[in-house]
Amino acid sequence: MYKTSMLAKDMVAASAKPLLLSILAEGESYGYEIIQKVRELSGGQIEWSDGMLYPVLHRLERDGLIESEWKEADTGRQRKYYFISTAGRKVLKTERQQWLTVHNTLGKLWKHKPVTI
Amino acid sequence: MADRSQHPGQIMETQTRYDLNTAFENWRAELAAQPNLTAEVRRELETHLRDAIAGFQQRGLNDEESFWLARKRVGQPPQLGEEFAKADPAAVWRERLFWMWLAIFLSGTLGSLASSVTILIPIKNYTAGMATQATSILLASLIPIIIAVSLARGKWLALFSKMTRLVENRLRLIIAACICVALSSSVRIAAFAIINARYNDHSSSFILQGFVSSIHPIIILLLLAWLLPLQNQKIPKHA
Repeated sequence: MYKTSMLAKDMVAASAKPLLLSILAEGESYGYEIIQKVRELSGGQIEWSDGMLYPVLHRLERDGLIESEWKEADTGRQRKYYFISTAGRKVLKTERQQWLTVHNTLGKLWKHKPVTI
Repeated sequence: MADRSQHPGQIMETQTRYDLNTAFENWRAELAAQPNLTAEVRRELETHLRDAIAGFQQRGLNDEESFWLARKRVGQPPQLGEEFAKADPAAVWRERLFWMWLAIFLSGTLGSLASSVTILIPIKNYTAGMATQATSILLASLIPIIIAVSLARGKWLALFSKMTRLVENRLRLIIAACICVALSSSVRIAAFAIINARYNDHSSSFILQGFVSSIHPIIILLLLAWLLPLQNQKIPKHA
């Protein structure tokens, strides 16, 4: 009935914070790379627009969860790199627990009634 | 089309005719017209657009197609402006206020310098006193006016871009501003010392005068350090 479609808008918005923090927890990155990574990891189902990504990044930075720095890339051009802060790692830990709670709860409910698409 | 595909050289020619730099300049101007996008954000979006273009070019698209797709993906400048304003409506105003207060600080320092110099001129009568005061005001406002007019007309932009390095981080801003305050205060102290010596009047402490006159610039300085745009506060600590 339902096609595997793009993630709903509110789901994209809610998952942006844990996704960004998790990506940056693996190492520093920059806007373009982050979008590519999310697209790749989600198999193209989560498509972030730049207009949405940068305000979120800047908000996380303002909240002290991530930090940024202009650095020269291999290409010789300057890029703004983001990296996670200690406070960010703490928040990620809590977020992770909360998402796992949702995931596990839904998992238990769905285990007995496998969803057929 | 069929004719073109038979001549690869001709395709190359049409490709190079599309000027990526001009397209870039236009896009940049469009972005700059968005009041909600700060210089820092515009720079970041520009690096993103460049990355996106390079990505499409790698996949074999030509300059025009790459630019068109990358531009579409980055978003329309008005929409970008809206998104950023929604995310942090105060940031735009913080940056505007920062530059406004910096101008107030500089013109205040200039005014203090000018008035310190002009009080040294002996005043013979009321008219001469008014003339001295007028000179002081003229001196203090002439430089900001020249700077404002030349900036507005797009002159000396490179020089001023270099000057903005002075406010790149809090430490530099505070050091530069402290030098300004120290300079204007010592000129004021010296001026009052000369006046006191001239009239053989030791009733007022000129050192105290100097301190009192630096209270206002120091308050503005603290405000400036607090308002300093977030992106300029970066203290590199990450290798």
